[in-house]
Formats: sequence, C-alpha cells, structure tokens
Amino acid sequence: MGLRTALMCKKFKEYAVLKYLARRVASSLFALLVITVIVFLLSHLSGNPVDALLPDDASQEQIDAFIRDWGLDKPLWQQYATFLGNAVHGDFGTSLKWQGEDAMGFVLDRMPATLQLGGLAILMSVVIALPLGVAAAVYKGTPIDNSAQMFALLGQSMPNFWLGIVLIWVFSVWLGWLPTSGMGTIYHAILPAIAIAWFQVSALARLTRSAMLEVLDAEYIKLARVKGVSESVVIWKHALRNAAVVPLTYFGILAASILTGSVVIETVFSWPGMGWVAIEAIRGRDFPVVQAVIIAYAVIYMISNLVVDLLYVAIDPRIRND
Amino acid sequence: MLHKKSKFSGAPKRVLTSMLLAGTILTAAGVTHAAMASEKVVIAVSPLGADSNLYWTTTGAFIFPSMQTLVGNDAATGKYDNSQLAESWEHNEDFTSWTFKLHPNAEFNGEWGPVTAADVVHSFNIHTGDDAKLSGIKQLKTATITAVDDHTVRFDLPSPVPNFLFSHAGRGSLVIYSKAQFEAEGIEGYETAPAGSGPFQYEGREVGQSLTFTTIKDHWTGVSPEFDEIEFRWVSEPSTRFAMLSAGEAHAVTLPRDLREDAAEAGQSVLSSSAGAMQSTMLFTGQFMNPEAEETRDARTYAWADVRVREAVNRALDRDGILEVLYGEGVEALPVYTMDPRFPGYSQDLADRFDADYGYDPEKAMALLKEAGYPDAFDNAAIPLVVTSLAGNPEFAQMAELVQAYLDVVGIQTEMREQDWATGNTAIRGFTADFVTPMRNAPVRPAALGVQIFFTDQASPHLNVGDPEINDLGAKLVSETNPALRDELLQGMFTRIFDGYAHIPMAAVPASVVVNSDLVEGWSFPGSTSSGLSHYELIDLK
Repeated sequence: MGLRTALMCKKFKEYAVLKYLARRVASSLFALLVITVIVFLLSHLSGNPVDALLPDDASQEQIDAFIRDWGLDKPLWQQYATFLGNAVHGDFGTSLKWQGEDAMGFVLDRMPATLQLGGLAILMSVVIALPLGVAAAVYKGTPIDNSAQMFALLGQSMPNFWLGIVLIWVFSVWLGWLPTSGMGTIYHAILPAIAIAWFQVSALARLTRSAMLEVLDAEYIKLARVKGVSESVVIWKHALRNAAVVPLTYFGILAASILTGSVVIETVFSWPGMGWVAIEAIRGRDFPVVQAVIIAYAVIYMISNLVVDLLYVAIDPRIRND
Repeated sequence: MLHKKSKFSGAPKRVLTSMLLAGTILTAAGVTHAAMASEKVVIAVSPLGADSNLYWTTTGAFIFPSMQTLVGNDAATGKYDNSQLAESWEHNEDFTSWTFKLHPNAEFNGEWGPVTAADVVHSFNIHTGDDAKLSGIKQLKTATITAVDDHTVRFDLPSPVPNFLFSHAGRGSLVIYSKAQFEAEGIEGYETAPAGSGPFQYEGREVGQSLTFTTIKDHWTGVSPEFDEIEFRWVSEPSTRFAMLSAGEAHAVTLPRDLREDAAEAGQSVLSSSAGAMQSTMLFTGQFMNPEAEETRDARTYAWADVRVREAVNRALDRDGILEVLYGEGVEALPVYTMDPRFPGYSQDLADRFDADYGYDPEKAMALLKEAGYPDAFDNAAIPLVVTSLAGNPEFAQMAELVQAYLDVVGIQTEMREQDWATGNTAIRGFTADFVTPMRNAPVRPAALGVQIFFTDQASPHLNVGDPEINDLGAKLVSETNPALRDELLQGMFTRIFDGYAHIPMAAVPASVVVNSDLVEGWSFPGSTSSGLSHYELIDLK
C-alpha cells in the first residue's frame, strides 16, 4: 500500500510537471503569435519600403512594379495572413536588401557569429563574475570587496556601445593589440565580447556576492569550519555549491540577454551576427529580414525563459508541487 | 584576515604583467591589422542600401571599380571624358538620337573578350527590365537602342534629352556587363563574379561586410594602380571607421563632419572632390505656390504659403554660420538649389544678388512677419522641421536644429519632427507632406534635370511647388532644343524660384574622404558619382 501510494505520488508529480511544461509551451506559442502581429504591424506602419529601396526619382511604373512584386498592394490583414502562413513553414520571403537571400536563412546564417560572440561573452561573464562575487563576499568590507563593487558599478553604469568604442580606442588604436572591428580570428571577438560581458559580469558578481554572504553565515558553514575543513573547501565546495542556485537561475536570462543584447555591439564592431542584421535590415526597411530576425530573437528568448522555468521546477520543489 | 589579504596582494601586479604579456604576444603575432601590406588598399564606408552584384537592382549608389559606364568624368574637373568605354559620341540636332563609338581595344576582364555594341545592347536590356531600381533609369526606359556596328551604338529617344551624357557618366544609369558571360553562365555568373572592363577585377564579397577587387595588369586603358588589391568595408559606426583609419587598418574612410575635424587634428588628411558633389537645401513641401492648390492637400494653410514668411525664413538664417558648423570652411552658399555653374542655366546675376536678397537680416525677417500677420493670421503657424538622417548626409539632423534656432530668434514657431528618411519620402510621394525637410542633389544633376525634379510637375510631381509660371517654363523646357533658348528658360525658372523664395538653399558641397596620412599621399576624384567617390585607380600611396 505504501509503495503504491509512493508510485501514485510520483506519477502525479510527473503529470504535474508535464502539465506545467505544456502550459509554459502553450503560453510561449501564444506570445510568439502576439509578437508576429506586433512585428508585422510595426514594420508596416513605420514606413514604406518603396521609399527606402527605390531611388528618389523612381517612376510611378517602378513604384507600381515594386508594390505589386512584394504584395504591398494587398490589404494589411491579407499580407499578415500570407506572412503567418508562410512563416509557419519557415518561409519569411526573400531579403529586399541582400537580394536573392532567403530572409530566415540569411538570419540563421548569421546565428553562428552571434553564438560565437555570445558564447565568449557568457564564458567571460561566468569565469570573471563567480570568482569576483565569491572574493567580494569572502573579503567583505575590504578593498577587494570595494574594488569588486566598483567594477560592478562601472559595468552597470556604462552604456555598452560607449564602452565598445572606448575599448577600440584603447586596445586597437593606442596599444595596437587587437583589431578594431570585423570578424575573422578569435582576436576579433575579444573586444566586443568584453563590451557585452561587462554588464553581465556586474550583475552576476553582485548576485553571487549576496548569495555567498547569506550562505557564509549559515550554521553548517560554521560547523564545517569548527570541524577543521580548510577554508578553500568551505568556500568553493560547501558555500558556493549552495549559493550557486541564485546565479544559476539567472544564467538563462543572462544567456538570452547577451544574445539579444549584442545588437548594438555587433554594429559598433561591425560583427556580422544577427544583431548586425537586425540593425541593417531596419535601416533598409527590409521587412522580411526584420520579421525573421525578431522572430528568431523571440524564439531564443522564449527557449531561454522556458529553460529557466524548468530549472526552477528542478530546483524548487514548491513550484513542482504547485 | 591578514593571511587572506596576502593571497591577493600580488594580484594587481600579476594582472598588469599578464596584460602586458598578452599585449606583447598579440602584437608580435600580428593580430592587429596596423601593419598591413601596403599593396592592399582598404576603404571603409557606410553600408550600402542594397547589397548586390546586379547593379541594376540597386539604386546605383555604388559602381564597382571593376565595372565601367560609357562616359567618364575627368578626375580634375568633373567634365565628361572618354576615360570609360565610349571613345567618342555625337547627337543629332534635336538631341533625340545619341551615338556612341566604343574604344576598339576595350575588353572585359577574365577573358570574356572585347567590349562590343552587343554588350551595350545586352546591358541596356537588363538595366531596363522590371527588376531595375536604378536612379534615373526611367529616362533609359523610354529609349530604343541599336547596334550600328560592332563598336557603335545608337540611342533613340522620344523627346529631346540634352543631358543624356549624365546618365552614362558618374550617375551610372547604364553599366556594361559581358554578354558572353551571360550566355555562358547566366545571371548566376553575374551574381557570383560579374566580369567588368575596369582596371580592377572582382574577387569576392563577404555579404554585408566587404567587397574585394584585384588590380588588372596591363589594363586596356593603360591605367595602372600602384597597389594590387582594393577592399571596400561596410562599417556602420562612424567612430569605428575613424578608429580603423587611426589604427592603420583603413587607408581611407568617410566620416561625418565632427569626426573629420577630429581626424584632421589627429594629423590625418581630409581630401575633397575636385568639383561639387552635392547640393543641399531645405525644401518647403506641398504646392504652396499654387493659388488653387486644393487638389491633394490644403497647402494654403501652411505658413510658408505666404511669400513674406518664406522670405523671413530665409532672412532669419545666418548661412555663413550654419554652413561652417555643418560643413566647415570653404563650402559656399548656394543661390538656387539645382543651379550649378557647370551646367546651362546658371545665372551670375542671381549669384550676385544672393547676399542682398537672402543675406542674414533678422530685423527684416521680423518686419516681414509682422507685415504678414504672423502668427495670428495662419491656421498652421508652426513650421514642422524634419530631423532626419540620410546615408552620406549625417549633417541633416543638425541642419534642422540650426535652422530651428535661428527661426526661433525672429519669432517663427517651429516643431521638430523626428522621422527617418523613408517615412518622409512616403509622405512626399503620398502628397501628404506638411513639413520643411532637408534635401540633397547628389551627384549634382544637370540643372535642367534637377529643376524639373525638385520644383515642377514634369519629373516628380510630388515635389512640384505648384507655381504656374515655373511649371509653364518647365513644360517648354521639355521640348526646347535650342541651347540658347534652353538657357533662357532655365534662367527664367531659377529667377522665379529665387524671387519667390521657393526654398531654403544651403550649400554646394564637395565629397570628402579622410585618408591615413602615413599611408596615402593623395587621391583625385571629381565627386561625380552618387557616393561621391570614384577613380580609385588614382589613389596615390606613400
């Protein structure tokens, strides 16, 4: 009877998790649908691509042909329906600016560049932020803590495009250590990755610091010290393992925001990723690419949030049981 | 605690040492492009509106240095010359038939054979197809072309076109592609690597990033660039372009005015085109000079429908001050937008009268406003000034802001309207524009073409100011072939525009490029193309 009850409880919990997951997926899909409407309307209400893509002295014949070719003469709802129907099949049309390129294909072609840059930025964030946060907590109130706090404050105060330009001038122009812009070698990625990562390092370091401070005051930490466990084991094994829950849950948001937040930095560093595509497509009124890139970003963000939600479920039994 | 501190006490030193070591390694490894080979020239400019090897599907903002037109522009004067594919040309008496004779030794790069009349006809056909977006292409679309012999082509036009050479020179309405390549490889051949006849050969592109060309040895024109390769990099951020120049990664970059000054202070060289590359103005929109303009909008309610207000606007502006801020020293005020001393119709009389009639005189401006009953007598007293930017014209936003500041001094109400260029164009094309907007004429069109586009109902009806007299003169100009009478008609139109204060003329501006003074000795270019840049083969390296 006891075993049966336990099995039932387990099944019930699995069902609850699946239900939770299905609800989150459904709400994500609904959000995606809403995003398609917003993106479609905003891109169409903000100006006519005719005026961005045809010369000032274009003839009426040219304008008419362009409008006809791109279906811009149809009612907006009809254009949206066509767009949505095609989008479901992954067809976002062909780029107006990068002629002949499939819109979503073009965006996805740029994704590795963004992932490469984002990956390096995430790596930098984690590698720098965790030790920094731990050090700030362990040496609370010392110059090390103050320096870490100052570092975090700077990172969260500086606009990343400004930081990017400063980095270019210091490391490329004055010191001549790294290339100013473009993509090619790992050296090209260092400065833009720093420009993206600094803000996230600050956020992650502060979270780690506060979580560590809480944990370091816990009874079991005191017990470990009393038992003669070495300080490094206490900090890095016992304290950090428990404190890491907070930064870990933030990690999903961090990953998504680094990817989507690279838009400006990719433009500053002329890094040919999705962010760069987004800016160039908006400038060129390239509707198909604008729609494709925003949907791609939305999907990335939603997947990240979904992963974070699932992490919460895995970590926090209260959510699972709810 | 002391023990803990000691663990970190050496950290700053270690960090500093590590950074210096890393820097030394990076520098030694040559990861920076500063020490780049001198045989490759890099030019960094703003990204193009359309990125394609099929020239006719773009608006014509950039002619590949590997491609050629029929007519060239002299690097020093900007005048038409035979440095491109046509050795000579002639027209009939009424300018309806133009015949071009090709250089007999002209040939395509990549062993695609000689350039013949068949290539011109083929190029004409693809340039005038449905997918053509080229600026100025509508004129070619009305033409018929005939290959007279292997090296002679004739264009027949339905009406007189005295300015036909403009389409074939820096404006680049027709770029010559190889018919042989098309027959062998189809359009894909052009998309992959279009064969041209210029002194450079197309090597490849990184989509949205760069275009690379190599120098042709023993080119048929005898032109011999002193470098092996030229790369164009599309870089959106001006500060990054400036950094590229300063770091020695680029030989030449285009920069907005403020950064040009910084670059010059830092020892770099600012080179200007030998002739005016662009004219700028602020245009009143709507048919404000049409006494019966109710057809498309209520233009008469705009404050600028009153000539006294228009004169007051012009009198309120200290152009010397504005132009110095916007463009720097050496840029001249423009008496009438689209009028240019290089083209027929130029009126020295208007140029001489400019200071007297358009000079800075705030008291006169206020008196005119009072006389007009401004603002109470107007339903729409506030003048919306468009704050916008356009590729190649970063000063447009500041232009509107400066105008606003001067108008404010004399009591003219304004409303700053921030909008992108395309949105403004949508309103203008839709006949719903109700603002005063910056505008540019680049490359500087022949006056007879420009004045029709920006002031009459002949070329772009949405920019028609609605003045019956200007439109009447414009209509006569279309069919007039006598050069003296054309000159007279044009001067009549310019005088009417000038006297009626039909716009806010600003400046005739040369194209500018900033070059790394350690790498580049000089570069002569006439500013005759849409981008202002050309004649890359004349880049003189140190």
